[in-house]
Amino acid sequence: MGLLQGASELFPVSSLGHAVIVPSLLHWGFKQSDPSFVPFLVLLHIGTASALLVLYRDQWVTIIRGFISAALRGQIKTDAERLSMLLLVGTLPAAVLGVYLETRIKTLFASPYVAAGFLVVNGLLMLGFEELRRRRERGATRAEQESQFGEAERISFRAAALVGACQALAFIPGISRSGVTIGGGLLAGLRHQEAARFSFLLATPVILGAGVVEVPGLFARGVPVAEYVAGAVLSGIAAYASARFLLRYFRSGRLDPYGFYCVAAGLVSLALLHFNL
Amino acid sequence: MRSSGIALALSVLGIVFIIIAALYALGVLQLFASTSSGPHYKHAVLFVVLAVASFVAANFARPKAAT
Repeated sequence: MGLLQGASELFPVSSLGHAVIVPSLLHWGFKQSDPSFVPFLVLLHIGTASALLVLYRDQWVTIIRGFISAALRGQIKTDAERLSMLLLVGTLPAAVLGVYLETRIKTLFASPYVAAGFLVVNGLLMLGFEELRRRRERGATRAEQESQFGEAERISFRAAALVGACQALAFIPGISRSGVTIGGGLLAGLRHQEAARFSFLLATPVILGAGVVEVPGLFARGVPVAEYVAGAVLSGIAAYASARFLLRYFRSGRLDPYGFYCVAAGLVSLALLHFNL
Repeated sequence: MRSSGIALALSVLGIVFIIIAALYALGVLQLFASTSSGPHYKHAVLFVVLAVASFVAANFARPKAAT
């Protein structure tokens, strides 16, 4: 589960959807309704967020310094200061919606059938994002096509808020947080690699914050902390490797393969669940 | 858009968010919380973050002296 969560959290294929569908398909012995499942997911998320912090450690130092100086000055002067404010604006909608709606949405949709259905929807969204993007592209090679688009620091504040709010869709099992934020970044005019970077930077405080506030639950009786920590370490390793791969992939790659994967995986899962295989 | 009025309004909003955060942390406020008793630290942290964002926005909205 650690490897699965770490890898699928950053790939645009919905970690929550996989966390609901895969244990059900493989007849693993735990369910999301189990009280010990929440602390387990919390630790896996902390593992993922830690991997992102390690990957972007230098950028986070610059971003935090930029935030403090811009906040005290009341004025943005550098790219790092602008990026820090964009991340704040992008994080707030997801934080508000997360605190007030996450539990309700997850409870409402916590079924393997629903997750599989929304995985198909997620795939169609990825394909739709790429189709809309292609209409704006000019040039024969991928390098020429990507060169027309900008870096994360140049995104507008309105677009950052909208991309951030899109993260709330990921509370629905089957909809991918990184998928909708990368797609939103593409529509806002970012290069694929920059959209992925903005998505990962945006995800870090949300994933880490959501994990840290649930930490007291780990100290409840009957929680096998050692096993869960091992899962978190595996999750972090998988997330680090995934992020490195994706950043390299998105230099010229697109969301299409993940879109096709989600549609196919969703349809196959629906069939397997229906026929109880 | 810089104005003393907007800066003041955002500062007041920040103070309101701090009060709401304290009420959630003390367990006095139960609005939209998953359980109906006890402190709600997740909500409290959210309102502290919102308060910080309001104060930052207030500082951005404050008219700056020409240099």
